[in-house]
Amino acid sequence: MMERRRELVNFLPVLLLILIGFASVYAARSEQINAGSLTYGLFFIALFAGAHLLLRIAAPHADPYLLPLAALLSAMGIMMIYRIDPGLAAAQTKWLLVGLGLFAAIVVFLRDYRKLDDYIYLLGALGVLLLVLTIIIGSEINGARLWLRFGGLSIQLGEFSKVLITIFLAGYLNSKRELLSTTTWRFLGIPMPDLKHLLPLVTMWGLSFALLLLMNDLGTSLLFFGIFLAMTYVATGRLAYPVLGGILFTGGAILAYNVKYTVHTRVDIWLNPWTDAAGSGYQIVQSLFAIGDGGLFGTGLGKGYLLFQSGEPIIPALHTDFIFSAIAEELGLAGATALIILFMLLCYRGFKIAVASDDGFSKLLAVGLSAGLALQTFVILGGVMKLIPLTGITLPFVSYGGSSIVANYASLALLLLISHRTNAEQAS
Amino acid sequence: MNASIRKLFFLTVLMFGGLVVVLTWWQVVQEKSLAENPHNTRKVFAQMRIERGLILDNIRGELATNRREGDLYYRVYPQGDLAAHLVGYSDPVYGRTGLERSWNDYLTGTADEVELLNTLNTLMGKEKRGADLKLTLDPEIQRTALSAMQDLGKRGAVVVLDVKTGAVLAMVSTPTFDPNLLEENWTQLNADADAPLLNRATQGLYTPGSSFKLITTAAALDTGTFQPDSKFKDDKGSIEIYGNTIRNWRDLPFGDHDFSEAFSQSINTTFAQVGDKLGQETLIRYMRAFGLYQKPPFELPADEVMASGRYQDGKLMSPEAAMDPVQVAWMAIGQENLQVTPLQMAMVAQAIANGGRMMKPYVVDNVTDFDGTIIRQGKPQELAKPISRGTAADMKDMMIKVVNEGTGSRLKTDKVQIAGKTGTAEVEGRGPNAWFVGFAPAEDPQVAIAVVVEDADAFGSISGPVALKIILAALGL
Repeated sequence: MMERRRELVNFLPVLLLILIGFASVYAARSEQINAGSLTYGLFFIALFAGAHLLLRIAAPHADPYLLPLAALLSAMGIMMIYRIDPGLAAAQTKWLLVGLGLFAAIVVFLRDYRKLDDYIYLLGALGVLLLVLTIIIGSEINGARLWLRFGGLSIQLGEFSKVLITIFLAGYLNSKRELLSTTTWRFLGIPMPDLKHLLPLVTMWGLSFALLLLMNDLGTSLLFFGIFLAMTYVATGRLAYPVLGGILFTGGAILAYNVKYTVHTRVDIWLNPWTDAAGSGYQIVQSLFAIGDGGLFGTGLGKGYLLFQSGEPIIPALHTDFIFSAIAEELGLAGATALIILFMLLCYRGFKIAVASDDGFSKLLAVGLSAGLALQTFVILGGVMKLIPLTGITLPFVSYGGSSIVANYASLALLLLISHRTNAEQAS
Repeated sequence: MNASIRKLFFLTVLMFGGLVVVLTWWQVVQEKSLAENPHNTRKVFAQMRIERGLILDNIRGELATNRREGDLYYRVYPQGDLAAHLVGYSDPVYGRTGLERSWNDYLTGTADEVELLNTLNTLMGKEKRGADLKLTLDPEIQRTALSAMQDLGKRGAVVVLDVKTGAVLAMVSTPTFDPNLLEENWTQLNADADAPLLNRATQGLYTPGSSFKLITTAAALDTGTFQPDSKFKDDKGSIEIYGNTIRNWRDLPFGDHDFSEAFSQSINTTFAQVGDKLGQETLIRYMRAFGLYQKPPFELPADEVMASGRYQDGKLMSPEAAMDPVQVAWMAIGQENLQVTPLQMAMVAQAIANGGRMMKPYVVDNVTDFDGTIIRQGKPQELAKPISRGTAADMKDMMIKVVNEGTGSRLKTDKVQIAGKTGTAEVEGRGPNAWFVGFAPAEDPQVAIAVVVEDADAFGSISGPVALKIILAALGL
């Protein structure tokens, strides 16, 4: 139970930050919002206290850092969303409740998560099916086909597909690890395994491109392919795979740039948003203005210039893709860097769980989930600060979005279960 | 597999480190240039949260005030197009012009004198408010001038100065615009060939034509080269100067006459000879003494005030640029690439009317903070003394003669003795620009005026009556 006591201690600074945060949003915008924001803080704390108690019972040896880190990120998210639009914060809180519900379900019912290894083809197929569904009946938002609409509800199936495919890859690569590392022929001087073992991997590559071309989304495509490359690299220990994959991806991206108008525009906007700062470059240019306005220490919570007089956000998709720009404006370089460090710590714990784990499936699963988290964070943060072409994707735990919250808490539950198993074995 | 995982984590650290580097680039290195990017409306909106100071005319009538919407203030111009060019506009989308721009620091309360008090007031819970500008602008004269020009339906400008102080009493440019309707009319205002947004009074560059003879005469008398009764002869109505023919209007010959008649009848042949005698150096010296070749020191933004002088390809030429004698003769009659602004010509009239002492033109009478305390007081300042008192007196007599017996007869009235000089400058492909530059009452000058009407059809018949209306209004007659 040492882990849970440590987790409780870790929660203390998180608790303090959450209370200060909600109080300062309330203080800065007391004209527009009421003391309700404080209720959010309390509700929030109650939720995580529940999650903590659950872990005490169901997974007492699980990593003591993951949950407090995720809680802090979620709190920052809800705080910013509340500041942007109190109505959305209520919805986000509901989603957080659903996310922690799934989290609890996984912790309780999937304690022996390694059973998933038996169903990887089913899970993988389900993951692909979700993507195919999105492509076929999804609706386009901002030129990218990522959303499925049911009445008033928009679901981003890609977020779940990401977790499912990661599970599939962990199982598949674990079982084919030896074969993939055995050289039977050479391609351009690079030692290659049997073609038939490569086939599923080539399929994965193809899928990534189908994503890119059919969903118009470089970011999701890069995310899936990146997870795949990272896991293949760890499974085989051979750099040749990611290098070859990287070359293929780059080639594919260049091809897409030349044949797909939307990809072309996105890259052009990335290269020079200033020429059409009021039109196509508006979103990224305004994002940079917001980030720049933050300076070293930010304008202070609730005091940034994020909304028009009408209450509409100045940057479209501020609460989802661009939530980091809002944080960077109001909390400055200090706060935004702290956020990046939080993500790095989260990834660090994830990779550490992978290293500590003693079976291949768990190791690869932890690697895949952590790499996915790292890459998704990089893709969206790099996008909003014009390091790479912008692509609509959520910032894990922070952005508004039910699918994202739920899928990320599911990933978190899996990581916690993996660490619980490893630590429990060591303890006994 | 663990070695690969560690390498993967190392890559993650590198990527996140890269993010922090890029973030630092935008938030620290580029902070300022992002803030100043014209597409960044943060600064504009921050200033819109401040209740801007009022702009008032000389009887405290409101020229610019505010309308509050939520916690933002929008500018309202109760007088519409009355003094649109001078007052300018302040708009979150279209930016600022005129006094709204050049006095923005005071109007937003960010100028040093206002800032401290404002900060103290903010601490005491009062709202931040800018300082008020009270102008020297006289709404009656301004309205008369604007409607006189609008009745003509012509492009042009009017500047009326207080002779004793240099205070601007009226400043009109037509066509004008309504600063309350920028959003509705913006595209049209910018596409309009008549350039309604241009402040012709200070930015309009016009060939002075015969009105420039004021400066030539000043040089001729002040240097003692000629006297009002210096004798001239004109038999042909035209003159050959270095093989170049300079003609009188309609080639009319004037026979034997003196300098004062040459002035009142605007005899080109005589002035070409006078210019030739004076030479480039003397003419340029007097032009500079009257303030040409530099921007008049005025309270509008620097790029809304143009310098007068010789222009080539849209650029002010150096006063030292070499000229041949033919060019000098042409310059003496107001041609030869000369371009002047109505403000500059009004200043010339003011200096002559004021015994040779040119006053600095100003329009902001005082600036008061929200408590009514005057934090800046406009004061009459002597700018230059281009000509002696005697020269000024002689010129006044000659200018009276213009009105009483010469080209300015349309300004002759029983009510007041007006003194002045007309000018008609030919413009390629259009009607000429008609000038009147003068002052009144001649015996004790109060107001100086410059009027220019573009695309006029006849000699002094257009600008004269406009000037007369304005002068009578200005003197309350």
